[in-house]
Amino acid sequence: MNKTTSIATIFILVMAVFPFLVDSAWLSIGITFLVFATVAFSQDIILGRAGVFNMGHAIFFGIGAYTTAILNVQFGLEIIATIPFAIIFPVIIAIFLAGPIIHLRGDYLLVATIGFNIIFEQVLSNDLFGLTGGPNGIFGIDVVRIFGYELWTDTSIYYIAFGLLIITLLIIRNLDNSRYGRALYYINKDEIAAKSMGINVPYYKLFAFALGAAIAGAAGSIFAIQYSAVSPESFSFMQSVMFFAIVLVGGSASLPGVIIGTFVMFVLPELFTEFKESRYLIFGAAMVLTMVLRPNGVWPATFGNIPKYLKEKALKHKALKDNSKGETE
Amino acid sequence: MDIFLQQLINGLTIGSLYALVALGYTMVYGVMKLINFAHGDLVAFSAYVGLTIFTQFFGASAVSFVDVIIIFLFTSIIVAFVGVLLERLAYRPLRTAPRLSAVVSALGAALVIQNGIMLIWGPNMQIFPADLLPSTIWNISGVIITFTQVCILALSAVLMIALYFFINKTKIGTAIRATAIDQDAAKLMGINVNRIIMIIFVVGSMLGAIGGLFIGLYYRSLTFDMGWVYGLSAFIAAIIGGIGSIPGAMIGGLLLGLFNALIAGYISTEWAETLTFVLLIIILIVRPTGILGEKTAEKV
Repeated sequence: MNKTTSIATIFILVMAVFPFLVDSAWLSIGITFLVFATVAFSQDIILGRAGVFNMGHAIFFGIGAYTTAILNVQFGLEIIATIPFAIIFPVIIAIFLAGPIIHLRGDYLLVATIGFNIIFEQVLSNDLFGLTGGPNGIFGIDVVRIFGYELWTDTSIYYIAFGLLIITLLIIRNLDNSRYGRALYYINKDEIAAKSMGINVPYYKLFAFALGAAIAGAAGSIFAIQYSAVSPESFSFMQSVMFFAIVLVGGSASLPGVIIGTFVMFVLPELFTEFKESRYLIFGAAMVLTMVLRPNGVWPATFGNIPKYLKEKALKHKALKDNSKGETE
Repeated sequence: MDIFLQQLINGLTIGSLYALVALGYTMVYGVMKLINFAHGDLVAFSAYVGLTIFTQFFGASAVSFVDVIIIFLFTSIIVAFVGVLLERLAYRPLRTAPRLSAVVSALGAALVIQNGIMLIWGPNMQIFPADLLPSTIWNISGVIITFTQVCILALSAVLMIALYFFINKTKIGTAIRATAIDQDAAKLMGINVNRIIMIIFVVGSMLGAIGGLFIGLYYRSLTFDMGWVYGLSAFIAAIIGGIGSIPGAMIGGLLLGLFNALIAGYISTEWAETLTFVLLIIILIVRPTGILGEKTAEKV
């Protein structure tokens, strides 16, 4: 068992028994943590693995939440039936939005995604087509019903969120060990080299976008269920900045890194409610300080997805080289 | 026709404000290849500093021409100081770090300044006193021009011409351009790159400070998070003109100002922001280097 797997196992075990150890206030913090951790992992696929500077991730989270809310409240669909739509819509939008801009260089892409996020915010609060409910959003979202059971307790919502997080972690594990994951890793490390080796760069980047959007959409759906309401400010540009910062402050493409990032950004503020006023000031200072002291994040990834035999070969090669250098001197 | 002329005047005024702020973004990007996200908040900070100096030391009442100059000067010096501090603490340690680390640091610094403003001046909206400049209004056959607008247009024009000469005709300006092209080569030629970057932050912050004061004078209402709004608009202006290009920022600012005013005059104010960002995305797709930006080949 390697290090990442053991950390993941401990994390999952702790989160699995968490609802039995705490009171209801903590339980809802736990749900928030799980939902935001899922979104952060999906952002990590785009930003940390594919290396695409995406600062509009709240869009996909928001589309997922609004899809569930609109289909349930306006069209009377069961919550469970809305979830597939909450996954598919963000994917369609992600491909539609990212397609034309995917070829842009880092900073330009960053600015374009900021632009999309602000347009998204305005569309929501200006009540386009009379569906989004304007600045107040939509409330009165139904409870989840499966096979006649009503899952309205926080504990059941917690386990839905927990299930999604585990599915996300499995997807990421499989991604890392697949052809797609290696292609993304290569593109992230050196795009020009990847292109010249015949990797279809825009295709893989769009794939990362679509996968990230799908997961964020599902998380958005759970967010809507938890609060039984959605409103535009939960999916603002500021929220995207937070998702962006979580991944980079924690450590991109690193499982413990993203968990630490989510914890610092969303759970710590709940602990220090007396600092609520200066909360963002402390965040900002912490972001600067972390980057100055640890530019690659608090817990940077040590890449395990280079096949072992290649690593050994590289080490052997290096040893040989060092030996021959010693002889000539 | 009257509406068109009126919106033209308004557009040029807003455009000059955007241009003044956009210059700060473009100069930093030109040399450091970094989006200085904190610049917009420095602009907001300057409006608040100006407000405090005016109300605390001048009693918020009509003052002489010299006093106005003193207010502008002191505000821009304070803001320039904060700008240099920002570079020292948040950007200089990250000059060789991965690009994204500097972006996160810039976002963090923006949060610090924005919420610093909130903690110092409070979260409620503040009104900038109107008495700093005379409230003379000219009515030229139905087109209304205020004294503030004339001041904004005139001073922005003077500042931009001055900046153009500073960059193109002086020795320091040459050093700035050299640093923007190739930092390592500039270092080898005996240019003190740290000092050049400091100068850029001083000049950019001072221009932004004057922009911030004008924003206070023109729009009158100040909120602690207004830096995002004006900063993003100015940043779009810098991209439209071609980020990294100083004349580009000026042209981009004016064009964006006109675009905004014409939309507000003819289409709707509700969707003005959306249409601005749609314009940004179209420009990014069609011509990402902007109007005056040069197409540079990616170094391998």
